[in-house]
Amino acid sequence: MPDKNKQVVLSVEDLAISFHTDKGRVKAVRGVSFDLYKGEVLCIVGESGSGKSVTAKTIMGILPGNGRIEAGHIHYEGEDLTKVSEEEFHRIRGKKIGMIFQDPLSSLNPIMKVGKQITEAMIINNDKLKKMYLDLISVEQARYNNEVSLRNQTIEQANLDIKLGKKSFVKDKLAIQKRKDISAEEKRELIAKEERKLHQLIEASKQRIIDIKDQTKDNIVLYKQQFKDRVKVAKAEVKAYHEKIKKDRDDKLHTLKLKLAADPSQKDLINKEIKQVKLDYINLTKITRLEAKKRALKVMEEVGIPQPARRFKQYPFEFSGGMRQRIVIAIALTQDPDILICDEPTTALDVTIQAQILELIQRLTVERNLTVMFITHDLGVVANMADRVAVMYAGKIVEIGTSHDIFYDPRHPYTWALLSSIPDVDSNERLEAIPGTPPNMIYPPKGDAFAPRSKYAMAVDYKEEPPMFKISDTHYAATWLLDKRAPKATMPKIVSERIKNSLKKAGELND
Amino acid sequence: MTKREVTFRQDLVDKDIILSVRHLKQFFKTGIGANKFITKAVHDISFDIKKGEVFGLVGESGCGKTTTGRSLIRLYDVTSGSVYFKGYRINGGTRWNEKEIKWKTIKAKREIADLKKIMQEEINSNRSERQEVNDEVIAKITESYNAKIKAVEDNLAKLVAEQKEIIAQIKYDTRHVDKKIMSKMQMIFQDPSDSLDPRMTVEDIIQEGLVIQGFRNRAENSKKVVEVLEKVGLIADYASRYPHEFSGGQRQRIGIARALVMNPELLICDEPISALDVSIRAQVINLLNDLKDELGLTILFIAHDLSVVKYFCDKIAVMYFGEIVEMASSEELFKHPLHPYTKSLLSAIPKPDPISEKNRKRITYNPVKDHDYSEQTPVLREIRPDHFVLANDKEIVKYEAEIKLLDKESK
Repeated sequence: MPDKNKQVVLSVEDLAISFHTDKGRVKAVRGVSFDLYKGEVLCIVGESGSGKSVTAKTIMGILPGNGRIEAGHIHYEGEDLTKVSEEEFHRIRGKKIGMIFQDPLSSLNPIMKVGKQITEAMIINNDKLKKMYLDLISVEQARYNNEVSLRNQTIEQANLDIKLGKKSFVKDKLAIQKRKDISAEEKRELIAKEERKLHQLIEASKQRIIDIKDQTKDNIVLYKQQFKDRVKVAKAEVKAYHEKIKKDRDDKLHTLKLKLAADPSQKDLINKEIKQVKLDYINLTKITRLEAKKRALKVMEEVGIPQPARRFKQYPFEFSGGMRQRIVIAIALTQDPDILICDEPTTALDVTIQAQILELIQRLTVERNLTVMFITHDLGVVANMADRVAVMYAGKIVEIGTSHDIFYDPRHPYTWALLSSIPDVDSNERLEAIPGTPPNMIYPPKGDAFAPRSKYAMAVDYKEEPPMFKISDTHYAATWLLDKRAPKATMPKIVSERIKNSLKKAGELND
Repeated sequence: MTKREVTFRQDLVDKDIILSVRHLKQFFKTGIGANKFITKAVHDISFDIKKGEVFGLVGESGCGKTTTGRSLIRLYDVTSGSVYFKGYRINGGTRWNEKEIKWKTIKAKREIADLKKIMQEEINSNRSERQEVNDEVIAKITESYNAKIKAVEDNLAKLVAEQKEIIAQIKYDTRHVDKKIMSKMQMIFQDPSDSLDPRMTVEDIIQEGLVIQGFRNRAENSKKVVEVLEKVGLIADYASRYPHEFSGGQRQRIGIARALVMNPELLICDEPISALDVSIRAQVINLLNDLKDELGLTILFIAHDLSVVKYFCDKIAVMYFGEIVEMASSEELFKHPLHPYTKSLLSAIPKPDPISEKNRKRITYNPVKDHDYSEQTPVLREIRPDHFVLANDKEIVKYEAEIKLLDKESK
């Protein structure tokens, strides 16, 4: 339910992504904005090709090579994830934002024991001192990087504007010269006018570059200095800590050695103690294999894998589909992420196994206070999992609201169509299938993308894109039907009746 | 010896049963030597499908539902049991009969050995001192026992001859299946992109079956292809295109067209909508529904999505680990689910209704805990008219009480 105190963890703003293919540019995502609140489960629904997986992949920073972020920002902990470089992303990917994929078999390595796969990430990032150092400098670093990227981006944009302006000037010039209906004098005049325009544009762009440089100059210098100072302090801090634990170890070892010299009869006992001291020191600086294994076993138990010690040594093919998906979840959890992105984690699974995995994810959400972004095309699963639902179609969010809003008060024709196209256990009415197929995203349709498949489409739907209409504080939908001038449209009978029935049932339950 | 003929059962035809499966078993052998292992994919299932009926086969993956479908259409050689289609036996296995001969022979041999032992004992106990009397008694006893042994041997010989005849008949039947009859049974596969040859045009794909059946007139075949394409909601122009040019839903339509061009009476749909997108699913379900009414098709619908099965099927059989655990009309099954596995399956369906979802309680099925089959092994029994459930005597009593309770509640 609407809660203004909710803390926004991740916020996606006007994200647009396209893929370059042989056939042209596929505009997979065209301006998606949503906020992810702490501790909630946000479900994203849509058919394949609606851009839901692409959005998730962009948040994880694992867009394929031919994908490009055209516009938009993803804000997470004061950083813009669209600007973070690949090297920097290692700080976030897996550790802050974890992801579970659709097919558990293809996301696990078939020739590697699952235990090794679970501990792999822990062992790679085993340097505790380095982690401490990175944590210490993270705030300053992010601030500095953001400022630099802001400046660079603006400069880039200005340069691009100049380039495009020049191009269009050449084009216009040619067009004017080819015209036959005006005299040479007039032509010259027109060209001069265009030229003046171009000059203005260049001037403005250059001014913009100078402005932004001026604006950010002080900040960049300041932040850079702060960052450098912080690095110095952090390095010293970490070094001091390291020295301290080293000294502790050496002192202890020294006393133990003296003891040994004084009393050789207790050799075994003291040797054992020496070993322990050494081990303690290693544990403070590194995650050892033993510790990683311990943690892995704990996580495996947490995700409901029976006999984790035995399972630890097995290969993925020895697991059933549901167990494999549990392993994948365990791998994601070892790094203690704040946000978990689940990309159709149950599509490849059976109904009963699906129910188990959903229960597991729900339990983990509560226990670990995770924020979950859940991608699926099964509305039943959505009803089960979601606090809020975003319905996507053709690279856009067409309706977003709480699960109550979407299921009991849907407003967008696409949501109606989705709801009416799934068979219901309680009735045998003829299904209302959505006619046609999703649009080709190389040439996204003008106006409302769903209009060609919608029987509620109006003339305006083919001309202009509908804005997001606000229905309530939590509920928004992008359809012209919500405009004041639109004729009144009611949802299909099959949907309204279903809603009536389930609300009636719920009323009985509440009594 | 008289000439054999393919087994034909008039009683099935009289009862309007188009497909009858009797004690079907389908085993797969894997490995050799010490690693030899037999997977019992389908273990003794029987059911009938009436003309015009839509029969649903549900169960989790690996329960043998797809194997059943593929055995019916002769993609596998059945291990044991028979499949009757339009009264004719089209597929059969002899494993059971062979085992019967083997075990009965062993049993008979043991019986004979026992008899001989008893005879010797009797002779020993009746031994007297006088040689003549002795001989007489022995002769008498031996004669009586020999008669008994002979009876056992005769019985065995008769049984073996019977079973051998059955085996020979089954082998003959499976070898002499009428192709014309088989073409009346067609299959639609799960993955529409894998089941279409990427190097053949749509027209070639659809008319391939016709050509194999001996229809060589290209012009006529093309006409049939266009007809069937229109029937499934595609246009005639598509005939010259290749499968990769189509979307998933359209490909599945091509798969359906390929099955329909043979004018089938029985359609086996192996998870035809699992690989499709949400919005396309309803299109395909509606298409199948329309075709069923228009052409009077009988459909065997294999799926794991219970809500679709409920919507589409008249009768549902629930499978678990190669066995049918419950079979009833779809209304009845959803009203009175009896077997714990059915209950757990029904409780796992996610509904697009948040309030009921939040209150839904999932029932877990644990075959070891839920059943006690130590005293009596279960068989599929009719608990109500047309409602079968796998149970033993004890469980039947329990289930009957449950039905009564459910009826009371609904009133």
